[in-house]
Amino acid sequence: MQDALPASVLHSEAKSRPTMNDAPNDSVADSSQAPPSDEKLMVDFSRGQADAFSVLFTRYKQPVFGFFRRRVTDPAQAEELTQENFLAVLRAAARYQPDALFRTYLYAVGFKILRDYRRKTTFRATFLGEQLPDREPVIEDAIEAKALIRDAVGKLERLDREILLLREFEQLSYAEIADLLCLPLNTVRSRLFRARQALYDLLAAPASQFATREFAESKERL
Amino acid sequence: MNSVTHPIAPEEVMALLDGELSQFDAQAVSAHLEDCVECASLAERLRATSQSLSEWIVPPVPSSLEESVLIHAAKTTHSPLPAMAGRSIQLSFWNWRLWAVGAGGAVTVVLVLVAIAASMIYHEDHSRHASLAMNEMVTNQDAAGNAKPQSAAGQSFEEDKQSAGFAAGHLQQMGGAGGAGIASIGALAVPAPMIARTVSLTIVVKDFAATRTLLDSIVARHHGYAAQLTAATAENAPPSLQASLRIPAPELAAAIDELKALGRVQNESQSGEEVTQQHTDLAARLKNSRETEERLRAILEQRTGKIEDVLQVEEEIARVRGEIESIEAEQQVLEHRVEFVSVDLQLTEEYTAQLNPPSGSVSNRLHNAFVTGLRNAAETVLGLVLLLEEYGPALLIWLAILGLPILLLGRRYRKLRAKH
Repeated sequence: MQDALPASVLHSEAKSRPTMNDAPNDSVADSSQAPPSDEKLMVDFSRGQADAFSVLFTRYKQPVFGFFRRRVTDPAQAEELTQENFLAVLRAAARYQPDALFRTYLYAVGFKILRDYRRKTTFRATFLGEQLPDREPVIEDAIEAKALIRDAVGKLERLDREILLLREFEQLSYAEIADLLCLPLNTVRSRLFRARQALYDLLAAPASQFATREFAESKERL
Repeated sequence: MNSVTHPIAPEEVMALLDGELSQFDAQAVSAHLEDCVECASLAERLRATSQSLSEWIVPPVPSSLEESVLIHAAKTTHSPLPAMAGRSIQLSFWNWRLWAVGAGGAVTVVLVLVAIAASMIYHEDHSRHASLAMNEMVTNQDAAGNAKPQSAAGQSFEEDKQSAGFAAGHLQQMGGAGGAGIASIGALAVPAPMIARTVSLTIVVKDFAATRTLLDSIVARHHGYAAQLTAATAENAPPSLQASLRIPAPELAAAIDELKALGRVQNESQSGEEVTQQHTDLAARLKNSRETEERLRAILEQRTGKIEDVLQVEEEIARVRGEIESIEAEQQVLEHRVEFVSVDLQLTEEYTAQLNPPSGSVSNRLHNAFVTGLRNAAETVLGLVLLLEEYGPALLIWLAILGLPILLLGRRYRKLRAKH
C-alpha cells in the first residue's frame, strides 16, 4: 500500500526529517544529488512551475488522503476533503512563506478544513436533524484486525486520538504536533504516552476476551 | 515504574523510540533499557502498539482525485497571480491589499474634498445672498426715506400720518440718508419696511465684576434698558450673566461695538423680522374703528330715536373705543419692537479652577463616604431584589420555555461533537 508508514517507533532507521531551519536554498542545494525539498518545490510552484506542484502532490496525496480517511467516516467525503485541502494550498500558493515546514503547513490547512467539516455536520445533525454518518466507515477490505484497531482508536479521548494519529501516521514530530494543535510540548508527550498505553490496553482486551471464550468452549466440549 | 527505581521517565522511553531525544539522553535511556526489564517491556509494548496501528491502512487515492487536483494546479499556474508572485510573494500580496486600500482611500479623500467644497460654496452663496438681501433692504429704506418728501402732499388721514411718521422716524433712527427731512411727512405712498431686529451675543470676559459695571454704563449711555437680567455665581463654576437688553435702534451699532469690546466674542448672531404688513393692517383697522366711532358719535348727537336706541349706540361706542385702545396698544408694542432692538447677551468669566480647601475633617469625610457607600450597596441589593420580584416570575416562565430546548440541543450538540 502507498499509505504513510507508521511511526518511527518501528522505523527508527527512517530518514530524519528536515527541521524548521532547513529553508530551501537555491544556491547551496544540489538538485542532482538530493531531491528538492518540499519548501523549494512550493516556492517554485508559486513562481509558476507547474511541475513542482505535481511532485508535491505525488509526495503527499496518499498521506493527506489517509489523514482524512482515518478521521472521516464517509470515503467519498474524505476524497472531497483531500481535494479541498490541495485546492486551498493552490489558492494560497502566492502567499506561501517558506518559514515553516511545508508538511506542517499542509496538515494545518487540513485540520482547518476538517474542523469546518465537523462543525458543519454536527450543527446540521443537532439543529436540522440530519443523521451523522456511522462511526465506522464502509469497510471495503474488511479485516477483523483493522476493524478492531479503528474501534480502539475511536474509543480514545479526542485530543489523545489526534495526537496519536498525527504521530503514528502523519509522522509529525512532537514539536510539530504541539505547533499544530497549539499545545505545550510536554502535554503532547504525556498525552501521546497516555494514548499509546490506552490503545495497548484496548487492543489487548479483545484478545483476552477471545481467549476466555475459546477456553470456555473447549471446557464444554470436554 | 517510578523515579526511585527508574532514573528515567516512561515518556522518555517512548521519546527514544520516536527519535525525539538528544544523543546524550538517547544513550542514557538506551543503557537503562539494557539493564531494566520493566522498561524494556514498556518499550516492547509501545512497539507492539505501533505495529498494530500499521495494520490500519487506507486504500490508494482515487485517480479521479489526482486528475481533478492536477487540472486545477495547471489552471492556477497559467493564471497571472503565481507568475507575478515570482518577483516577491509578499509584495504580490501586499500589492493587492495596497491597491484595494489605496483605491478606497483615494475615493474617500475625493468624496470628503467634494463635500467640503460643496459645503464652502453653499455657505459662501448663502452669505452672499444674505448680504445682498441686507443691502437691498438698506437701499429700500434709503429710497423710502428719500421718497417721503416727494409724496408728502395730499394725504389727510391722521392714522396714515401717524404710521408714516413713525416709519420715517424709524428710518431716521436706522441712519437712512434721507432721514433728515422726514419730520414734515404727512403720509407715504409706499410704506417703508419696518424691521424688528434681534441680536444674540455670547462673550467671555476676564473680570466679571468690572464687566458688569461697564455693561450697566453702556446700556445707560445708549439710552437702553435691561428687560431681564440674571447673574449666577455657582461653586466650581465661573460667574455668568444672562441679560435681555433693549437698545434703541439708532444706537445699536455703537452699543454692539462697545459690548464686543468687553471680552472675547464666542458667538454672535443677528436676525430681523419684517413687521410692516402687521403694522399696516393695524393702522387700517384703527382707522376704520375711529371712523366707526365718529359715525356713532354723530348718531348719538342727533338723539332722534328712543332711549333704548340711544343706550344701544352708547354700548356700541364703548365697544369700538375698547377695540381702538386695544389696537393702539398692539401698535405701540410693534413700534417698540422696531424702535428698540432686543439684545440677548450672555457673559461668562474665563474659568479658572480653584483649589478649594476640603470642607470638614478627613475622618468625617471618610465616615460620610462609608455611609454613602453602604447606602448605595443596600439600594443596589434592594433594587436587585425588587427587579427579581418584578420580573422573576416572567423570567422563570421564559427560562422554562426556552431553557429546556436549549439544554437538550446543547447536550445533543456536545454528544454528537464528541462522537464525531
